[in-house]
Amino acid sequence: MTKRSWTTNHDAKNSKLENVASMMDGKFVKTENAKELLEDLIAPGDKVVLEGDNQKQASFLSKVLASVDPGKVHDLHMIMSSVSRPEHLDIFETGIASKLDFSFAGPQSTRISQMIADGTMNVGDIHTYLELYARLYVDLIPNVVLVAADKVDRDGNLYTGANTEETPVIVESAAFKDGIVIVQANEIVDEVPRVDIPGDWVDVVVQADQPYQLEPLFTRDPQNITELQILMGMMAIRGIYEKHNVQSVNHGVGFNTAAIELLLPTYGEQLGLKGKIVPNWEVNPTPTLIPAIESGWVKTIHSFGGEVGMENYIAHRPDIFFVGKDGTMRSNRAFGQMAGQYALDMFVGSTLQIDKYGNSSTVTNGRLSGLGGAPNMGSNPTGRRHSTPAWQSLRPDNDPLGKGQKLVVQMVETFGSNKKPVFVDHLDAEEVRKEAKLANVPIMIYSEDTTHIVTEEGIAYLYKTDSMAERQIAIEAVAGVTPVGLRSNPKQLADLRARGIVALPEDIGVHRSEAKRSLLAAQTMDDIVDWSDGLYNPPAKFRSWS
Amino acid sequence: MKNSFVELHARERAEALLDDDVRELVGPLDNMISPHLEPQGIVPESDDGVVLMRGTINGKSALVISIEGKFQGGGIGEVSGAKIVAALEKALEDNQAGKTIYPVLVLDTGGVRLQEANYGLLSISEIQNAVIALKKFVPVIGLVPGRVGSFGGMSITASILSYLIATKKARIALNGPEVIEQEAGVREFDSSDKDLIWNTLGTKQRLATGLVDEVVEDTVDNIKKSVSDAIDAKKDAHRTENIDFYLSLLDKLDLSKKLDIDGYRKLYSEVKSEKHVIDDAVGSNTPGTKSRGRVWFEKLTGIKNAKSSVSTVLHAEKDGKEYVAIVPDADNKFPRVRDGEVGLEEGFAVASIVNKVVADDADKDIKRPIIMVVDVPSQAYGYQEELIGIHVALGSSAAAYAKARQAGHPVIAFIPGDAVSGGFLAHGLQSNRLIALDDTSITIQAMSKASAARITQRTIAELEEATKHVPAMAYDIDNYEKLGALYKLVKGIGSYDATDENVAKINSIIDEAIQTTVGKPADLHFRYETPIAIESGRKATNAVRKAVFEQWNA
Amino acid sequence: MEKLHFSFDTKEPIQKPVHVGVVASGDLEVIFRPTTDTKSDINIVTGSDGFKEVWQNVLDRFFARYPIQANIEINDFGSTPGVVNLRLTQAMEALKDEK
Repeated sequence: MTKRSWTTNHDAKNSKLENVASMMDGKFVKTENAKELLEDLIAPGDKVVLEGDNQKQASFLSKVLASVDPGKVHDLHMIMSSVSRPEHLDIFETGIASKLDFSFAGPQSTRISQMIADGTMNVGDIHTYLELYARLYVDLIPNVVLVAADKVDRDGNLYTGANTEETPVIVESAAFKDGIVIVQANEIVDEVPRVDIPGDWVDVVVQADQPYQLEPLFTRDPQNITELQILMGMMAIRGIYEKHNVQSVNHGVGFNTAAIELLLPTYGEQLGLKGKIVPNWEVNPTPTLIPAIESGWVKTIHSFGGEVGMENYIAHRPDIFFVGKDGTMRSNRAFGQMAGQYALDMFVGSTLQIDKYGNSSTVTNGRLSGLGGAPNMGSNPTGRRHSTPAWQSLRPDNDPLGKGQKLVVQMVETFGSNKKPVFVDHLDAEEVRKEAKLANVPIMIYSEDTTHIVTEEGIAYLYKTDSMAERQIAIEAVAGVTPVGLRSNPKQLADLRARGIVALPEDIGVHRSEAKRSLLAAQTMDDIVDWSDGLYNPPAKFRSWS
Repeated sequence: MKNSFVELHARERAEALLDDDVRELVGPLDNMISPHLEPQGIVPESDDGVVLMRGTINGKSALVISIEGKFQGGGIGEVSGAKIVAALEKALEDNQAGKTIYPVLVLDTGGVRLQEANYGLLSISEIQNAVIALKKFVPVIGLVPGRVGSFGGMSITASILSYLIATKKARIALNGPEVIEQEAGVREFDSSDKDLIWNTLGTKQRLATGLVDEVVEDTVDNIKKSVSDAIDAKKDAHRTENIDFYLSLLDKLDLSKKLDIDGYRKLYSEVKSEKHVIDDAVGSNTPGTKSRGRVWFEKLTGIKNAKSSVSTVLHAEKDGKEYVAIVPDADNKFPRVRDGEVGLEEGFAVASIVNKVVADDADKDIKRPIIMVVDVPSQAYGYQEELIGIHVALGSSAAAYAKARQAGHPVIAFIPGDAVSGGFLAHGLQSNRLIALDDTSITIQAMSKASAARITQRTIAELEEATKHVPAMAYDIDNYEKLGALYKLVKGIGSYDATDENVAKINSIIDEAIQTTVGKPADLHFRYETPIAIESGRKATNAVRKAVFEQWNA
Repeated sequence: MEKLHFSFDTKEPIQKPVHVGVVASGDLEVIFRPTTDTKSDINIVTGSDGFKEVWQNVLDRFFARYPIQANIEINDFGSTPGVVNLRLTQAMEALKDEK
């Protein structure tokens, strides 16, 4: 009996790296050799993580991967948190890859939907971010990871800076389990500003032909905030932030939440709430937070990723943000998701559809946008044990073993700008599940986790309902003239208002006539630049022209 | 917290400028909507996009006229235009009677509302007339807050106002970049290049080159203070009176290379104003570029192959009448005026000529009639024209004609050719009588079909369909007659038929027209008072005027 | 563009006319005029065709909540039902305003 080897993975990795030794100078490979390198290091059927984050894309390596010979590299099992670039899907058409496990596919949602229906790709599953990272350490351990860094030194130490995002969680899953870590770098330097990933974890570095793709995904131009969004923001501040004494929050980034951020220094100030609510944030560094930061509302912000144009502002506000010794920000999506799930009083988000029960989804007909991070933040973690006043305020009175609950708030207008109803009897996602042959309906936030719904009509305090029937009536009461809302009647509404399950603006002292854009602390990108003392530098597409 | 003025709607802006006690005239409840929009499938607004509000500014009696930029781009149509004109005329009356009232115009407008094109042009010329008359008594303050800014015919109006206050969120130009790109090509002006647009037309550049007087931070308090200070100090930039300066500047302009922003700022700061006199046209042996306007000018004045120191502007006195024509010059050094368009030099030269006539006759009891021979296919569409400020050139000429008329000169426009847009505002529409030939070759409009279709987001076919239902949208002189503005539409004489017999006939019609101005007010009311105007052409105008007059002193 | 007409039986007189809103993109203006009639007439000019039923629903709900004796004119440039309701309810707030 031959003795079993316990180092087969280790040996395989070493042998592969030896095969490419002729191309290597230390850990470095020339840009023009990248294709050959991938063809040698990636075997058919390998599990490959291609770093596609929310903001940052390993765009050089994704282009190179799409160019390899499908005769040599094929049937890869891709693991990607964000499917963002065309070549992320091209590789399935050419046969380089065949299976996909992913989280989010916003920019490619229409095409991915079609490819699944056509059988061009085989989807393992759709995950939340945390789930996908978790599986990298259990049953989706990668053979090869392709990631992006800003700077690398001669020893392979990586600086990923403000846009660190997912790089650490991906690299760690490979580095300690005999996976191969391949890095594209914007720049090779003698000394990195700080070490975000130790060089010891890195196997191969390629200088990219151009810097990785980075999008300002979380910048919202206040010019586009409407009076309806302002009205809903006022209601939320009054009827939720103040009422529940919320201290820590995540804002799903949209115009509704941008409105709230810009109302804190004005409307919030008028209500005397400064210093009393939301000092602690887990959120991407959105420019619309600047007025609230500058006027002393915000004490701390930890971020999933960076935001283009915010680098210099953040560097000058280390009291607020997570900033390294070198003076630049560090983000980390895995830790951010963890914090967002377990440490927050409240999640406030928006969605495209809510059904009559209160389940919501951003998946609509023909668009499989995936899940991303909102389901983590927008769920009540049953493993939570620590208490805060806001969490405790949702505790049911009648249960001796009862505990608090995270506030999960959905803010929607009853009709979208396309004049389609947001409140529907059945989510499009149900149909998409059938078409895409998914095991579960891709629901972003389940009814059971949703504690509040805010519409322009009013607030439904769903956590106060004691049956699904009552929950449905409460939803109907704020669903306007959508088919769902039309079922509501004045008697029911009066009863819900009397019992505090539904509040109309007048019930919480919000005047609709005050919902004006002049109430926003900043009305243009220029105003935000002014608030930042010139430290915020908006990307060209967001500049206020003058 | 910033209290932005720009964010406010027109009504709120008027309220913000005035002290607490305000009164709106012909407001949303008075049901004065445009009769021309619904037939074209366009939703109207109850105030037609113009708010008239009386009150006080720091205690001083004031009239604020505020244009709503969010409704149809702030375009001026028949009703909105008539509201502005009627209110300005009442303010004039009050000032004439010793009751001082300060008018303030909040301009947020693309100019002529293209869906009511010729009404827009008529109204804008009438607004300009009223402003010129008012300036003898009080400063007429203009405010251009943005987002729309002030464009088209209303940029010409802006140039005529006493004092112009703006924020950096505004732009001011005669032609929008899209229109220039449509008319002159993307190499002339790339309408997708936002940096270029804002650096050229933005108020920071306009301030540096004398086209606005003050750029203030966008807060209600700052803006109200600036307006109030301008009233108190009776500020007047005399912007349309810098004619020698601009003619001197144009002399120095190097046309061999494309003018850029820095180059212009330098030129602007270095130019010394020199006196310019444009002598009467004289005969020559070489014919000028043929045009309807040139043919009639030469016949009416008896000058063969007329030429002048400004090749595109001809003037001469004949039988006690001063004739002025703008003509094409195929070899002109300014490429954008070679087809007879009104450009920088044309506007300033005409102003120079007309101002001289007025000065020469200042002490005479009988003022010389001024006869404009109108054949202007448009204003010039060009980058350097906008950079320098072609709207001021056109404003200078319009102001000169209006002042001449108000000083007692009969001003008659004879239209044997095209009468289009800014060109017509500068040279034609300040006349107290319009005489046109009934010829199908004549185009009379606010914008070419291609540009109008692009700006109103319609196809040319849709645009042509609209012209069938709304006479003011049409491009021909017969439809124009239906508006009632013409003193006479002369039948049976073609645009080029300047025979001796026909010239004699036109001469007698002109003389007859001059006679009808004798002893009459030197205003533009004739246009509302013709039988066609009363019966149909200016029905809405007259109704609006009546309503404003009734409500003025309530 | 489409013109719509609705009428409702009403019982609560209003004291003064009010006007709210601007005919801007995605927005509308609303005018309430007092009437002594117990039938309120609503005349709408809208730039978005084909939404008669939605308008009916918005107005049904509005008059169920506020049965005001008012003739209403609306000029609409493509508003969502949410914006329509905002303007209608703002007009109600303006009615209560002592000004």
